[in-house]
Amino acid sequence: MGGILEHLADVEEPRVLVFGITGRQGRSRTRLMRKFGTDIVAGCTPGKGGQEVDGTPVYDSASEAVKAHPELNTAVFYVPAKAARSAASDAMEAGLGFLVLTADGVPTHDAAVLKELSSRKGCRFLGPNTVGLLDTSGYLFGLIGGRASWARKNYLPGSVGVISRSGGLSQLLGAFHCRPNLPGPREDGSFGPLWGEDYPGVSAVVCVGGDPIPGVSIPDAARAFEADPRTKVIAVYGETGTSQENDLARAMESGEISKPVVVFLGGKYTEAGVAQSHAGAMIRNPEEAYGAKRKALEKAGAVVVERPDAVFASTARTLGLRA
Amino acid sequence: MPALPEYRTRKLLTGEGVPVVEGVFFPAGAGIPEPPPAPPAYVKAQIPGATSRASRGLVRHVTDSEAMSLAMRELLSPGPWGQAEGVLVTSPAELYGEYYAACTLDLGGEGKLPRGVLLFSSEGGSGVEERSDTLLRMPFSLTSPPSEEAIRERLPQLPEPEMVASLLHGMVRAFIRYRLLVLEANPIGVLQDGTPLVIDCRAEYESRAVAKEDRELFTPAGGGHRELLPLEQAVERINEADPSGTGFFRQNRSEPPEDAWRVATNLCGGGGKMLWEMTTGGRDDIYTMNESDTSGGLSAFKSYRILRTILSQEGAHVLLLTGSGMAFQNQHHLAAAVWKALRESPTPLPALLRFGGTDEDLAHGLFDRVSEGLPVAVRHYRAEIFPNAMVEDIPPIAAKEPIRVDPPSLPQGEPTFETEVPPGKFFFFPELCGERPHHLLEACPTGYLTWDADSRTLVPNPESRCTGCLMCETASLLEGNGELRVVLDLPEEVE
Repeated sequence: MGGILEHLADVEEPRVLVFGITGRQGRSRTRLMRKFGTDIVAGCTPGKGGQEVDGTPVYDSASEAVKAHPELNTAVFYVPAKAARSAASDAMEAGLGFLVLTADGVPTHDAAVLKELSSRKGCRFLGPNTVGLLDTSGYLFGLIGGRASWARKNYLPGSVGVISRSGGLSQLLGAFHCRPNLPGPREDGSFGPLWGEDYPGVSAVVCVGGDPIPGVSIPDAARAFEADPRTKVIAVYGETGTSQENDLARAMESGEISKPVVVFLGGKYTEAGVAQSHAGAMIRNPEEAYGAKRKALEKAGAVVVERPDAVFASTARTLGLRA
Repeated sequence: MPALPEYRTRKLLTGEGVPVVEGVFFPAGAGIPEPPPAPPAYVKAQIPGATSRASRGLVRHVTDSEAMSLAMRELLSPGPWGQAEGVLVTSPAELYGEYYAACTLDLGGEGKLPRGVLLFSSEGGSGVEERSDTLLRMPFSLTSPPSEEAIRERLPQLPEPEMVASLLHGMVRAFIRYRLLVLEANPIGVLQDGTPLVIDCRAEYESRAVAKEDRELFTPAGGGHRELLPLEQAVERINEADPSGTGFFRQNRSEPPEDAWRVATNLCGGGGKMLWEMTTGGRDDIYTMNESDTSGGLSAFKSYRILRTILSQEGAHVLLLTGSGMAFQNQHHLAAAVWKALRESPTPLPALLRFGGTDEDLAHGLFDRVSEGLPVAVRHYRAEIFPNAMVEDIPPIAAKEPIRVDPPSLPQGEPTFETEVPPGKFFFFPELCGERPHHLLEACPTGYLTWDADSRTLVPNPESRCTGCLMCETASLLEGNGELRVVLDLPEEVE
């Protein structure tokens, strides 16, 4: 199977432990993941060990689950934001290599602590505040896709690697690259199909989340796509706040990222110090503002567009696709 | 970020044993105390996030009773600064020096872990961070913060370094305990014997980081939500009753430019907000009435309630709504909520609606079918059409004159049954229903609705759960005779 996780967290075959599997969302999203092809091995809800959810055994702690299923290497969390820190710490202590934290509203201090712990433990976490990750080789984590049948229909194997700080836009940038004859604005100013039946498709969609301290950052994900042989072009939704886009530009300039990068950069009118819908989009210093990021990305060779539908014409050109 | 005024920050500090100058807080609304505090004293208006208080007249040094009464009266009343939470009256202290200290969060980045940072300077006063060449920066781990001894070792030469280190250690503890973003003490006064004590302080925090048991510390005197407008408070109450997903709503405080199109917005997620900002941020012909974010899997009941709030804003010309970016939120359920809001609101707005994601075809099918019957014009857009294209349709559809209608009356009295979360009242009218209402039972995606043939009524299944999707009422109105109606109570500001 492999896929993007092999390059992102050195996990070749994701075997998943689901935290919060006994809750409403955990239960329904676990079904989504499994129907899509994700290998769900066990669940974890403190106090509910010994139960089963749709045939999946539930354990009280990650260490108990790992003891019973040593093949576990990935954890997905459907737990409230206030419980994310302790649940993720439990998974890190148990030695799981890749974590997906879907919760919105995790305190920044807690994310900072998890970043420190993950660094110490040598694991990686995606999020917080992420819709997750979908790989068209056959697995997804989190909420992405909404429904397995929808995800299968809308995310098809191909050559675009998608990275996004927004849940909605990560799904949109992924799915639209898989639509034959997608209409949109062309680079010559006309409007119409951007490609024919031969759509670009996606290798994987990675939502790094909208918080100020992401576990996996945009440059981390870009490096994974750089190493992924399926990916020919990287499409990014970035925005103001944090240093992720600046760090991506530096990685491109240093040659670490050599594949073409197309960025829809949000926040052109965002003012410094003003709270945004994404907590991570707040500008804390001039380098985090739109102008500085755009300049850095363009200098590094990225194509930066101001509207989401302009991404597709640019990736089509890069891939040599025509209507 | 929300800020704590001085009197509330002092509580966080004293809880960790940090010495602060003597002071008494007098809340606004309680009147001027009799007798007023004795002069001499400093009278300080307590306004979250207020800066340059001295130069704005929000801090008064009073030396006689008359000046005290005047200061109390002025600062406890609304002024150009708004309404203060109250005043803090502190005793003057004879100071022999001033220090500055703060804790902040360094978010880290590529190759650099996030850290707390302790700042200290042996000079106090405003702008110290810029002008002091003695500013000590001490990064620290949030999981293993520095000991008092470690802080002491980093301090410059001071009269009582142990006492200063103890104070700073208390600040670090408060910073971590309450998961603050900023905690500042400026100045820290130095008494004749070298004892430091905090003269003024402030903090910034994240609402999401406030633990349940600490809520009182972070709530203004006299209750929460003081800074919110009435409709915003209404949405907060909707969120309290139905916590699923995200329901965010804030009104634009600025004056709309003359002749601008006033657009009420219902957007989805941070991405949706950013798309709108990128579309309209550079245009002065479009005035955004409100910010909003309805995302994260909220119920259609909640979508309806928030949309009714958005529609009740005075002066809006048009509604622009974007559903989920793709696939996360069921667009058919959202469309049902939008249809219900547009037909039940006494102040509906012409609407531009974009549906994209799970069941988007059903959402468009619904509006293909019901748009004609609505009191306002509606255009609905496929997900491939982004707000940057939708805004071009505002002028032909918007209504600059207010639209007021008499919406159809809703059932009153005792409902057939109710749901608690999400809260809803279900009214079933068997006389409008022939035999078993298959269309209603099949519309319910969770099997919550069951049919009791003996009593010929709908009965909720205790083993299942209502997700507040509105599919039953939609089916009742489109496939049946309106035999099932769902009444969703609204806050009085919206009603």
